[in-house]
Amino acid sequence: MMNLPTREQAGVLIVSVSGRIDHTTSEAFAKALDPLLDRCTQGHPPILLDFSAVDYISSAGLRVLMMASRRSKAQNGSFAIAALQPMVQEVFAISRFNLIVPCYASVESASKVIGS
Amino acid sequence: MKRLTGLPLALIRAGRGRALPFLLLLAGLAILGAIEQTPLLRVREAQFDQYQRLMPRVRDSEPVIVVGIDSQSLVKHGQWPWSRDLVAQLVHKIHAGKPLALGIDIVFAERDRYSPELLNARIPGLPADVRAGLPDPDRLLAKALIGPNTALAVVGLSKALPGSTQPARPLPEFSHETPIDQSIPQYVGALASRPILEKAAAGEGLINASPSALQSNSEHGILRRVPTLAFINQLPFLSLPLEMVRLALGEGGQVIPESGFRGMTAIRIGDYRLPTQANGELLLHFGRASSNYYLSAADVLSGVHPPELFASRFVIIGFNSTGLQDRIVTPLGESLPGIDIHTQVIESLLSGQALQRPWWMPYAELATLLFVGLLLIMAIPVLRPRYAVLSFAGLALLIVAGGYAAFFAGRWLFDGSTQVLLLSPVFILLLGNTLVAADTRRREAELQLQNSREDAARVAGELDAARRIQMGLLPNPAIIFANETRFAIAALLEPARAVGGDYYDCFMLSEDRLCLAVGDVSGKGLPASLFMAISKTLTGTLTRRQANLGNAVRELERELNRENTEYLFVTTFIAILDVNSGSMDYVCAGHDAPIVLRNGELSRIDTSPTSGPPLCAADHYPYVADRVQLQPGDRLCLFTDGVTEAHNGAKMFGLEGLQAAFQSSGNIRIQAATNALRDAVRHFEAGQPPADDLTLMLVQWNGNSLNER
Repeated sequence: MMNLPTREQAGVLIVSVSGRIDHTTSEAFAKALDPLLDRCTQGHPPILLDFSAVDYISSAGLRVLMMASRRSKAQNGSFAIAALQPMVQEVFAISRFNLIVPCYASVESASKVIGS
Repeated sequence: MKRLTGLPLALIRAGRGRALPFLLLLAGLAILGAIEQTPLLRVREAQFDQYQRLMPRVRDSEPVIVVGIDSQSLVKHGQWPWSRDLVAQLVHKIHAGKPLALGIDIVFAERDRYSPELLNARIPGLPADVRAGLPDPDRLLAKALIGPNTALAVVGLSKALPGSTQPARPLPEFSHETPIDQSIPQYVGALASRPILEKAAAGEGLINASPSALQSNSEHGILRRVPTLAFINQLPFLSLPLEMVRLALGEGGQVIPESGFRGMTAIRIGDYRLPTQANGELLLHFGRASSNYYLSAADVLSGVHPPELFASRFVIIGFNSTGLQDRIVTPLGESLPGIDIHTQVIESLLSGQALQRPWWMPYAELATLLFVGLLLIMAIPVLRPRYAVLSFAGLALLIVAGGYAAFFAGRWLFDGSTQVLLLSPVFILLLGNTLVAADTRRREAELQLQNSREDAARVAGELDAARRIQMGLLPNPAIIFANETRFAIAALLEPARAVGGDYYDCFMLSEDRLCLAVGDVSGKGLPASLFMAISKTLTGTLTRRQANLGNAVRELERELNRENTEYLFVTTFIAILDVNSGSMDYVCAGHDAPIVLRNGELSRIDTSPTSGPPLCAADHYPYVADRVQLQPGDRLCLFTDGVTEAHNGAKMFGLEGLQAAFQSSGNIRIQAATNALRDAVRHFEAGQPPADDLTLMLVQWNGNSLNER
């Protein structure tokens, strides 16, 4: 079970993700994310994944993000990612996942946008 | 065979293997409760004898002297019975030394042969003066016996025999608070000495072995118990050695039997005390035999020993001759004259040492058997066989050792070996069940293992078939473009598992248009492989049908999305190359941009302006195609992330690794170059299992007029 510490800041639920999200850990990542997504609905605080400690993400990890994004959209919730490391940023750029999940440079800038 | 073993096995396994052992334990308890009636009694007595052999009573003083009428005495003084004046002389000699007490282990029941009356009757006409001068040996002996501390022997009789009398000297004072049970031996008559002698002596003591014990004790000729107290016509008598001690104590020698509600527990004479059985019997703790305290009657008569030798000692006169004596065998395995028992009883009383087996001891043994038995029944079925054996061995050792410890600590007779004997069948059955269960489990496990092996083989077989089908979906460019000179293609795909989610494709759309595709379904293994097959097939179909590549990709996504309940997505790079002009249309859907090697220089196709997300990641993304112009001799490298993200445990192969390998393989033939790239990746991984499927496709455009290098 992956440990996802959360904190609420300026009306945004910030979830700290860390380590490698690859084929072996993506399932645990999805499971840990699931209860948070339950609350990602209209009227609840938007969810922001703090990716500053994520070293690597594979296509399996991307799939988890895609599904989370689909779900939050279906629930009229808000879901975003912030503070991507360069390597992860590159993966997002190549796969164009920045078109699927909103990505922000930092937690602060993201909070300003989605927290309002 | 199975039917033959079925019933006993079912019996053993009944009640989770505990029912039968429990019944056996109950049977064991019943046997232990009635051990006197079973052959196991011999095991018990052998065990008790063993205690004594290991720890015999220490005989550090010799309070008793035996004056034995031995062979030497018979040679010197003639046949037995001796005339009583000779016995009187012997008594005088001993009395001269002032012993504590004198006991005579002989019954003088009839008149002496030399009594004047008998001589008169035998020799009629004896002159009157001679007759008057004849000594009366009985009178002489009676005179000799007068004194404070001489005890005569009495034999109690269970039937009134001719000549049986009532002995005249019962215990003068005998008080007991609680009534003594009927288990104290009762005799109706006795064989006692002549009244004249009885009157002269200070007391009389029994020399019987107890009648009930006679059969069991003499069964092997081993004497283990001696009575301490008996009644002759309701009058109490002590055994001869105890009577001697009583006489020696004089006024202080009051006899008090201690008793509980189950009969006697001990006998007290003055300050001395010995524990007894309920029937007053003493379990004698034997010491090693010694001949030190045996004197010959002939030597005593001839005054060889100074009288002081007898001072402050108990003296017993008895038989010690091969022709006359009764011999007994002790638990120590020694054959002794019967008279030695008296010695040992006196020594025991003085030191207060006797073996103890109180009424509660059999109950303690039953309780131990029950407790240990139940413990085994609880524990053995849940233990592994090796620990089961160790536990039983440990418990058995503990019980037997407990017996030895109890004997050592307080001369308690606790029978451990019989319990171990009775526990053994219980344990054997329990262990048997454990072994049967273990064997069954092993067989089941073997069967299961075999089944799972078969399953695995079947799955592997199916996967193998799936792999062959998947690999069969991929074209072999070396064959389909065998005679092609305008371009060259080499490709390879190695799934991380049996099947994978990568794919590539290359085919001619028309005479001049070459379609190239590389794709990567999210995830790997069987789920990805099914999606891969659909994607690859649809890509082929739709690029052929749609003139516009962008539209083809849009339609492809729509088709894929129709039945995508698992939300899988595909990154793909699809290109259509005009093999005459080198103009290449392409669509990139979240895929790595291909690398271009042009005149030894590396670059990448800039897909960023038009690249979209992976197929099925976003709904209805408007993919559009872009165009790039190739130069003759350009070599393209299309790949999936299985190449760049190959891991060696510390870092990833990376784009840099791929580019370096691609550059250095630029001058070798395209098929060999492809293999070289793959080898570079595998070499980098250094034995690490591949994390993802690996796909490489190298394309070289030679230009319309050029031949392949």
